Amino acid sequence: MPIELLVQALLNGFGLAVVYILVALGLTLIFSILEVINFAHGEFYMLGGFAAYYLSAVGGLNYVATLVLAMLLVGLAGVVAERLVFRHLRGKTLNAFIVSLGLLWVLQATAQLSFGVLDKSVPSAVSGIVRLGGVIVSRERMFVILTAVALIVGLYLFLKFTRTGQAMRAVAQDAEAAALQGVNIELTSALGFGIGCALAGAAGALLAPIFAVSPTMGALPVVKAFIIIIVGGMGSLPGAVLGGLLLGAVEGVGTLFMSSAAVNILGFLMVIAILLLRPRGLLGAA
Amino acid sequence: MPPEPRRVDGWIGFGVLLVAGVSVPLLTRDSYHLDVATVILRNLLLTMSLRYVMSTGQLNMAHVSFMGIAAYASALLVTRAGWSFWAALAVAPLLAALAAVPMGRVALRVSGPYYFLISFAFLEVLRLVFNNFFVDYLGGPSGLVEIPPPHPLLLTGGAVTFIGKLAQYWLMLVLFLASAAVLIRLECSRFGLVNGAIRQGELLAETLGVNVPRYKLGAFVLGAFFAGVAGVFFAHSQRVLHSSDFGLEPMVLLVVFTVIGGAGSVWGPVVGTLVLAVASELLRELHHYELLVYGLVLIVVMLCFPDGLVALPGRVARRFGWGRAKDGASTLGAGVAP
Repeated sequence: MPIELLVQALLNGFGLAVVYILVALGLTLIFSILEVINFAHGEFYMLGGFAAYYLSAVGGLNYVATLVLAMLLVGLAGVVAERLVFRHLRGKTLNAFIVSLGLLWVLQATAQLSFGVLDKSVPSAVSGIVRLGGVIVSRERMFVILTAVALIVGLYLFLKFTRTGQAMRAVAQDAEAAALQGVNIELTSALGFGIGCALAGAAGALLAPIFAVSPTMGALPVVKAFIIIIVGGMGSLPGAVLGGLLLGAVEGVGTLFMSSAAVNILGFLMVIAILLLRPRGLLGAA
Repeated sequence: MPPEPRRVDGWIGFGVLLVAGVSVPLLTRDSYHLDVATVILRNLLLTMSLRYVMSTGQLNMAHVSFMGIAAYASALLVTRAGWSFWAALAVAPLLAALAAVPMGRVALRVSGPYYFLISFAFLEVLRLVFNNFFVDYLGGPSGLVEIPPPHPLLLTGGAVTFIGKLAQYWLMLVLFLASAAVLIRLECSRFGLVNGAIRQGELLAETLGVNVPRYKLGAFVLGAFFAGVAGVFFAHSQRVLHSSDFGLEPMVLLVVFTVIGGAGSVWGPVVGTLVLAVASELLRELHHYELLVYGLVLIVVMLCFPDGLVALPGRVARRFGWGRAKDGASTLGAGVAP
């Protein structure tokens, strides 16, 4: 097999994976803070897509403003969901999981009723392609990858160096101990949930020009995000990045050999294998 | 501890189901009504068996996949291997249960959030297989079509056919009552008590000498068997199978029915399924809002009455100081620490 083909396949895989990593990071952040598995996380990705559609395709805003506003709006929706629903379910994993299935339907049905069921397209901000040796990348993909990487680095710096970020990590480690040290758990949880959802919204807005926007668009990324965080270790942010890159590599190379349905199964097989061999995931805490 | 379920209560409840089931065809012969009643019975079989799995504290998100395995197996046995429907009805649920053994062994190695997610992974893998693999046999995205209805049953007095809505209703009623009798009997047996003990305190049950993995696997496999019974009926009454019949949406619907009624009691899924079926018939003009309403109801019930509708009378009674004092321990999720 020519080496360019392999590099191209890997690059295609990573190009999507880096966006799914954004979704996965939000999911794992929320899990680590509230011990809640939010199956409706993909619906915040969908809201990001619609925000991008209304802000840029309808409202005519430029790409950067669209992205920032979409993140703010979806983050706000996340804070509302946390205040109304998930705050009452901290640590009740099964009940919270069932509630998130209900929230998934509520958000999806609301989107269908208010935005319509037809696919909507969002214009691309950049066009053209870049050639690197024998490998071809569209400028648009390149832009998406760079933005996603910038957001991932930004999240890392925020959690590592700001006071609020440190409070979030403290709550994730031990909520009671954090409260005893004077951390406002309520506020930190709401903010963490909002940031997690804002990341999903950013992913939706980033991919909106590449895929069409529709009320059911959240189903695929949330599944990818779950695969990523189980492989990487639930609650582990570096694990989500590693898991995402691994999934991107496996799926990218997989497309060279098999049908897209078989490639989709590969991710689930990774999950089953990881849960059997190392249930806490590659980088998960024991 | 909640009070021990009394066997006589179980049989009274079963009697109510029997009388209600038999009286439906006496009250109406309208084919639409019979159709609705048949679907309700099928859903009752699915939710009661899902509740049995949940009674050990596991929410198996692949429950509907076992229905799918038996449905496809039965359709293939009848159309490809030339089996009689009745032979397929006996064998296909067993195949679903057989498939559940290795899957249960894998899934039960993990607990808490990992358990829902691995069972969800099974659901998606099987749906993708139904949709994309062995297209010559499973029909692929356009579905498996031309499944024959149940074959006539040759009895000494003549042949009984199962073509009309009424005959299919009776068939489903018999399948449901037979399965419900087993599930209700199990609830009032040692198995029901041990399952409840596992749900409420897995570690404690284990220290008392309960072989927890074996009971969990037993509930998982038995649930798969009864889901398989529903699947065989589904295949030969719908006569078309699509992979989407066994995806996340029908699965969540089963969870909604079960949890709104209350997963802590064997009657919870019955109440939940009937209440929501009646509600969705009354709200037919609001068809577009169905998922929205179901989602909202699910959220409100889980936040305000996590033990479901069946626990409401007891809660009201306690509020006013009537009746026996019961322990208010949450019946759902108590035993699923990660």
